[in-house]
Amino acid sequence: MKIKDLIKQDAGLQYAVDSLELMSAAGRRALLDTEFSTDAHWLEAEWQRLDRAIQTTLTFKFKKPYIDLRHCLMQLHDLRSTLASLASHTPLNEVELFEVKNLAHLNRIATGAISGLGISDILPLPATDDVFSLLDPDHTGIPNFYIYDSLDPRLTPLRRKLGGLQTSGGDPARIAALLAEQNEIQGQVCLRLSDQLSPWAPTLTAALDQLAYADLLLAKAQLAIDWHLSRPTLGNHIAFTGLVNPRLKHRNEAAHLRYQPVDITVTSGVTLITGANMAGKTVLLKSLGTAQTMVQCGFFAPADEAVTILFDGVTSSIGDDQDEMNGLSSYAAEIIKISDIVRRCRDQRLLVLIDEPARTTNPVEGKAIVQALIRLMQQSDSATLITTHYGQLGANCRRLRVRGFVEDMADIPLTPRNINLFIDYSLTEDLSGEVPHEALRIADILGCDSQLIDTARQYIEK
Amino acid sequence: MPFVNQILQHRSLSIVGLEKNTGKTVCLNYILRRLNELGVPVGVTSIGVDGEQIDSVFATAKPEVTIYEGSRFITSEQHYIKRQAVSEIEHVDSRRTALGPLVTARVLIRGKVLLSGAATTASLRGQIERLQSIGCRLAIVDGALSRLSLASPTVTDCMVLATGAAVSANLKQLVAKTRFVHHLICLDEVAPALRDTLNPIAGGLWAIDDDGQPHDLGIASVFLIGNAGNDLLRFGHTLFASGAVSDRLLKALAPLANDITLVARDFTKLFLTPEAYNDFTHRGNRLLVLQRSRLVAVTLNPTSPQGFLLDSRNACDALSDALQTPVYDIMKITQ
Repeated sequence: MKIKDLIKQDAGLQYAVDSLELMSAAGRRALLDTEFSTDAHWLEAEWQRLDRAIQTTLTFKFKKPYIDLRHCLMQLHDLRSTLASLASHTPLNEVELFEVKNLAHLNRIATGAISGLGISDILPLPATDDVFSLLDPDHTGIPNFYIYDSLDPRLTPLRRKLGGLQTSGGDPARIAALLAEQNEIQGQVCLRLSDQLSPWAPTLTAALDQLAYADLLLAKAQLAIDWHLSRPTLGNHIAFTGLVNPRLKHRNEAAHLRYQPVDITVTSGVTLITGANMAGKTVLLKSLGTAQTMVQCGFFAPADEAVTILFDGVTSSIGDDQDEMNGLSSYAAEIIKISDIVRRCRDQRLLVLIDEPARTTNPVEGKAIVQALIRLMQQSDSATLITTHYGQLGANCRRLRVRGFVEDMADIPLTPRNINLFIDYSLTEDLSGEVPHEALRIADILGCDSQLIDTARQYIEK
Repeated sequence: MPFVNQILQHRSLSIVGLEKNTGKTVCLNYILRRLNELGVPVGVTSIGVDGEQIDSVFATAKPEVTIYEGSRFITSEQHYIKRQAVSEIEHVDSRRTALGPLVTARVLIRGKVLLSGAATTASLRGQIERLQSIGCRLAIVDGALSRLSLASPTVTDCMVLATGAAVSANLKQLVAKTRFVHHLICLDEVAPALRDTLNPIAGGLWAIDDDGQPHDLGIASVFLIGNAGNDLLRFGHTLFASGAVSDRLLKALAPLANDITLVARDFTKLFLTPEAYNDFTHRGNRLLVLQRSRLVAVTLNPTSPQGFLLDSRNACDALSDALQTPVYDIMKITQ
């Protein structure tokens, strides 16, 4: 699956994509066409290139070769359709020939800049000097282009006559005839140049793709610097230390709210996550999904340290309004999604993130569905995280609990507005099999109707 | 060489027609020819599509734009390919219009070109800057039918207004219509201090208190003005409309007081009929602008596309008297 499809399912990834400072449409295309990779060799190589690009950015950001390269990428046009025409022997017009000459010109400048940065090994560009020379018969060295007189001996005398007639306001019919003759010659030159350039189409396409990749790599490097991303390593389980959700972190920072990174390890099989409401369980699942997707798309991870394994895909069932908008009830949408996940896990190794399954149906059947889900997912190769408020599921799986409310965490009175200052979002191994019973306490803090809360308490006491 | 020297005091010029077939393209050709004689390198672009060989509304023959050696022009790829000048491409824009990307070229041998340009004023501003940055002493913008926005002082430094028999074959009506637009173009500016305060405001209707401080009246659009009535004047009798000013706004304000000063951004934001404007101002209210357009000339095309022909001398005299500014028969001065 490509990034252009993944961003439709993952708002965190969309945020990362939108935050990239790409200079060109070609760079954006390279980004959107990036595949979710399961190729460890490619990913290791990409992370190595990204590491080098980060070091280069930190060293050269305000120096000439780096500025030259960025300036060059800013002028890069996405010429794929023109180059496809060239490859299929379709004659190019003057404007298209200018674009080809300009690409060769930019490629030459970028080659020099990349060499100056000492990263030619990670961003090798093919030589296109012959293309430039072909389109620069007068050796001007600049990317400007027209059908130069030197490209056809008939043009000089014809244009001399034309210029003379135009300047003196000569016979319009004679001018029209000369213009028609000139257009005929120009058309022949375009045809000849297109034929000569046609064998270069694959090289020019490679240059364009590589320049687009350079744009993407530099943007990813800048993002890694700005967001303090870390280079992942491949291990035999997932272990994110200081995992953050960049979108939420930046939103909180903008609102001067606290944001707490989380440490989490995930192994194959099922991990149940429990915790009070508002303790960040859903955010944790989303953060993990975004981080793993970023990593497998060749980005660095939004964490202080990241050890990970590779999956065939990341899939989630985290309730949103989308399916309900499609006419399905929340339960119907969820159970169809979960059913699909169970089926996919029979022949794929996925990172599965399921938020409070079966929470919208009756607790007897709901609990049974969760128990069945745990049992089936335990039998697959996938790594599954399930958040739940159901206790005593009797399942033999790993349990993590979000620590949740700590009343003395902050030295100020607790109010609904500052509640996040009193939540410890960190995870702890939980051997009890119980779930926290803090719903009424939270309702109380949120200022809910006291009669409602008191009456509920009476029912519990009964 | 009427009005060309005045144009040269500015870096950008727009040519705006009151109607189609008022001689904008003739006027542009006149200016380009004169500037070439003076050896001034210029850059020409347009907003929308112009320079068609056949007028698309009346199917009449339409003069094309001649660009001279050393000058630049910007047009779409499709029109560039059809040019009659010999020219060298210097830049191709990455954004595409319906007629392909915009091409910037330098003319090597003069000839006629078809102009088609930016779709938005923001894009147009970028093109003007591009032309100026590559050595054009003056950037000239030709406008398509009914496009006044290019004449905004935020886009071009000065303007030429083209009027003619196409506006009305009846001289009295032609004078009245032209005089009204001319009056709006020449509205007085607010004091510089108030302009600096109001310029950054992005939207809505605002009131300015006695200390010169603006207050948002909470009315995003004139359509939401409803029954706000005298409430609009609670901070003071000076108001600023940062967007369009229509008859509807003037009609809502006119009955409230007779000493209202309404400030608009510039004349291109005014969409007014003479009736609503006169009713507003005759009560003692006034309309000002943040920035006035510099009108360097008014030109007249005495011929209408339907074949009406005004008496050139009479028409120019009547317009000159009414506008208190010289009016040139564009067909005569180009001969």
